[in-house]
Amino acid sequence: MPSIYKVSYVVPGEDHPGAILNSGTPPHKGDVISLGSSDFEVIEVFDLVPPRGDFHYLHATLVRTSEKP
Amino acid sequence: MDHIEILGSVELLEGITPAELQTISLICKEISYNNGDVITLQGESGEDLYIVLDGFVEVLHSGTTPEQSPRTIVHLGKGQIFGEMALVDHGPRSATVRAASDPTKVLVIHCDDFEQECEKNHHLGYVVMRNIAADLSFKLRHRHFADR
Repeated sequence: MPSIYKVSYVVPGEDHPGAILNSGTPPHKGDVISLGSSDFEVIEVFDLVPPRGDFHYLHATLVRTSEKP
Repeated sequence: MDHIEILGSVELLEGITPAELQTISLICKEISYNNGDVITLQGESGEDLYIVLDGFVEVLHSGTTPEQSPRTIVHLGKGQIFGEMALVDHGPRSATVRAASDPTKVLVIHCDDFEQECEKNHHLGYVVMRNIAADLSFKLRHRHFADR
């Protein structure tokens, strides 16, 4: 089975609670992702805990780039 | 995508055999919610475990006094589980969970059905409980970073 990336997304300094989701590809610094009504840029990615089986566990720090209408 | 294929990519079931996956698929049902629909309510008894198939759910926690309004503590997307604490401790729901996308699709497993399968097959029970512990640990680590 291909790798699955379980990612903890956090937006420091904001009310946004962040998110946890699985993805088929890992996030990279500079990526823009959508969470709800806002877009965020990934500014940091690191392994949260060691991988187990097909799963990789990552943490990504975000900054807001835009609010959708 | 059928339920077996989906379940094969869910961390809760990572490490179980294809036969065990087949068993679990037989006790799952798919439910679709609209944005804003309440799926579980904090304080109520809970008898189901949920897996997010598509979309997002919002997890809200109310304070200890009526004056404190509910606060969103995390969004959970594809592949994430919620309601798992009911399987572990049979306590009331620790948070309210509502759909945060249109549609939000989830797989629902009744905890009694799940427990019966885990009792019949201790390998399945061990793997599922280990994975629930790992998921709760991941959520705690997420909270630590979110609270920085």
